[in-house]
Formats: sequence, C-alpha cells, structure tokens
Amino acid sequence: MAKITESTRNEVREIVFAFFAEECEADKSQITDNTNIIKDLDGDSLMFLELIEIFKKKYNLDIELKTIGKYAVKHPVDTIGQLIEMQMLIIEHENRLLELDK
Amino acid sequence: MAGKVVISGMGIVSSLGYDLETFWKNLVEGKSGVKKISLFNASSCATQIAAEVPHEFEEYSRCLVKKRAAGQMTRVTRMCLVAAKQAVTLSGLDFEKEDKTRCAVIMGVVNTGNSSVEKDTSPQNTVFKSMTNSMPAWISLEYQLLGPNFAINTACASSAYAIAIGMQMIKNNMVDVVIAGGADSIINPEEINGFNALYALSVANDPPEAASRPFTSKRDGFVIGEGAGVVILESEEHALMRNAIIHSELAGYALTSEGYNIMAPMKDGAGMAATIEKALQNAGVDKSEVGYLNAHGTSTELNDRYETMAIKKVFGEQAYHIPVSSSKSMIGHTIGAAGAIEGIITILSLKNNILTPTINYSDPDPDLDLDYVPNVSRQKEIHVALSNSFGFGGHNATLVFRKYPGN
Repeated sequence: MAKITESTRNEVREIVFAFFAEECEADKSQITDNTNIIKDLDGDSLMFLELIEIFKKKYNLDIELKTIGKYAVKHPVDTIGQLIEMQMLIIEHENRLLELDK
Repeated sequence: MAGKVVISGMGIVSSLGYDLETFWKNLVEGKSGVKKISLFNASSCATQIAAEVPHEFEEYSRCLVKKRAAGQMTRVTRMCLVAAKQAVTLSGLDFEKEDKTRCAVIMGVVNTGNSSVEKDTSPQNTVFKSMTNSMPAWISLEYQLLGPNFAINTACASSAYAIAIGMQMIKNNMVDVVIAGGADSIINPEEINGFNALYALSVANDPPEAASRPFTSKRDGFVIGEGAGVVILESEEHALMRNAIIHSELAGYALTSEGYNIMAPMKDGAGMAATIEKALQNAGVDKSEVGYLNAHGTSTELNDRYETMAIKKVFGEQAYHIPVSSSKSMIGHTIGAAGAIEGIITILSLKNNILTPTINYSDPDPDLDLDYVPNVSRQKEIHVALSNSFGFGGHNATLVFRKYPGN
C-alpha cells in the first residue's frame, strides 16, 4: 500500500488536467473538479483506461483492469474530481482496491 | 409509398479537391488527380500511380474532426466524416429540429483503410479503425442520430447501393432524411499487388495523369483513386417544409446481381443492360429523356467494352446521341466511394448543364463508338442523367437523377 503524499496528489491532478485539456482540446484553466467528463468535455470511457495505463507505468502499479472495472461499477465516475479520487485509491490500494468495499 | 426523393446536400473529398466548388472546377477543366504514389514507397510495385487525396486534407480535416475522435479513425474514415459534415452543412439541416429517430446513415464501405500504410503512421485503436461500420457510426455519433445506421459492402457499387437503399427507406416512409454515400482508399502495397496479380490495374506509370484512359484502344486497367462522397436524401415534402435548396431529384434506381463471375462482368454486358433497363423503369423515365450517362468506365478492357454494349442494347440507335463520360479518367477508381462521388458529379452536371469529359481520349477503340465526351467538357441542357456502378462479384447499380424544377 503506497503512501499518498501531497506531492503525489498534486502530480496526479496535474496529469489528469493536462490529459483532458490535450485530448479534449479544452482550456486547462476551465477544467475543475466539478467538470463532467462526458457532458462538459465530450470525453469517453476509453480516456479512463488510458489514464490508468499512464499511472500504471508512472507508479509501477500492480493492478488488473478487471479489479478497477468491478470497483467502478459500484463507484461510477462522472467528474474530474471523482476520477482523481479514484486514481488516488488505485495508486494507494492497487489490487486490494476491492477490499475497500468489504 | 411516399412522393419524390430529393438531394439537398452533397459533400466531397477527392484527389481533385475537398470542397464541391474546387472539385467541380477541376473536373470541368478536365484535370487529372493521378500522380506518383506518395503514401508509401511503391517502387517495387508494378503500379506506382494513384489519385491520392492531397496531403493538405489533413490540416483541413482538423477544423472539422475533433482530435480525440480523429485518433480513433483511419484517414479514409476522416474523409467520410468530413464529406458528411460538408453535405449536412450544405443541406442546412439542423438535426436538433428533426425527429432523430427518422434520420438514417447508410455508407458504402468496402474497407476502412486500416492497411500497413495506416499502421505505419498511427498504430493505435486498431479495433475502432478496422470496424467496417465505423464510418456510419461516427456520422451518427456526430449528430446523435437515432435512426437506422449501417454499412453496405457491394464492392465498387457500395455507395450507389447505399444511396439506393436510402431512397427506398424514404419511399417506404421509414425515415425522412438519409445521410448516404461512402469512402474508400486502397492505396497500399497489399491491395495494389493484389489487383496487379489480377491484371486489373494500369501499369502505364509515366506520365501518371495519362494512365486512366477509358474507352480508348490503349486502356490497360484502372487507376486507383481515393476519397469520399456523401449526399443528403430527403423526401421532397420534408425538404420543401424546411425550405431547403433542392439540387436534384433521385428519380429511381436498380440493384441487380449477375450471378456469373467473381471478377468479370457478364458477357456482352447483359447484366449491365438489365440493370440500366430496370432503373429506367423504376424511375418512370422514358429512354428519350436521358441526356447523359456517367459511366462506370473503369478503363479496363472488359468493363468499357461491355458497358458500351449494354448502353447500345438498352438505347438502340439513340445510344449514339447520349453523351457518356467516365469521371475515372480524372479521379481514378474510388472503389466503395465511386457510386456516391460519380452520383454527385451527375447531379452537378444536371444542375450546371455541363458534362464533364473523358480525358486521355486520344486513341479511340474502333469497337467502342459512342460519344464519350472526349477530353473537354461540354455545355448541354439535360433533364435526366444516369450513373452506373458495377462491382466485383457481380453487384450492379444504376441511379437515375432528374433535374429539379426551378433549380
């Protein structure tokens, strides 16, 4: 279980904001935690997968997609803020993510 | 059955331009879009020429296709979406004011162009890029349409089939609006070597612009082209209700199968003749009304011979008075897109009273003796015009267009 520091949190936020700004051709300064990924940014579910791959590589995470899939069914992500929170949990708990629901 | 079906929008991406105006101007001037292949190194191929869409198209498409979506499409799928957006813009349709369950998308798609050339430049998203339903899907997504949405593959007749099926769906009152057409690109080593193995392609590489020479004695095969053509079909009632500009009527069609050979057309053009005949009947057009025929005209030995025979069989002595031209002499054979692109040329001919030429017509084949509109375009008032499309596997289509009154 990785310890989430303020620096990690800021780094994740920065990566997520930059990713959506680039992929959705959006103004980064206009993206907030409350921005809806589909409605406001015209994003898609594949972006979530791509971000997971980015974080898997960056933090050398041991997590299977099916684990994230099972977790996401119970905890849907609509906004940028929710997505960042889920990324934090993934980084922190990796393959033990589902234990959070027990 | 509903009343007339009309064309209220058109969009084009081709080697001679990616807007209607430039495209038409170049056709009327008899320009060729055929050049040495630049998309890959074709030096080891017997055929080294093709009618490629200009590279500047990519920059143009960035204004019309979102970056995220563009990365999930092949180059030819982007061409299709761009042509569709042009057509919708020209039609003036605002889908937010339409019953979206009555708006359909039908595209003729032989392949999506996810070849080695595409994979060399952009290897991601293979599944999305290869899905043969991707072109109609992206168009439907763009406008969030909720009606029927599908692809048709009948080889080189695919997009003519798409337009014909679209017309029938409107006639049957299933939908009000259909975005119909197709896009294709087979400019890649696999396809070129494959067609070379069938002796179907021209190997007259030098000069490239002279290689496609339909109906001449020196024709030696077709030249591959690429691009997209999309039309907006509407019931006349629907178009008039929203004060749309109507470019022409789609008066009728015929779709037939030859049941004869996977590659060669039926002997003496019997299947082609039957198709033209049925299309005229379907449209309720008298043969004497036909003022122009946009031929399939591939520049292959058999097609041009048999298509000429078919026209003579259908029209008899009148065949000698009907101008027949092949757009493929200028833009090559755009395969799945050919029916729609050549349909658009036929519509523009009706609209502008100008017949585009068969260029490179310098050595007539003595057996092929129709009026092929040699080398230069021609002013002619026409009221009814046909567009032929014939595909490998014996898929035949003829579309019948009629000038729309007041246009």
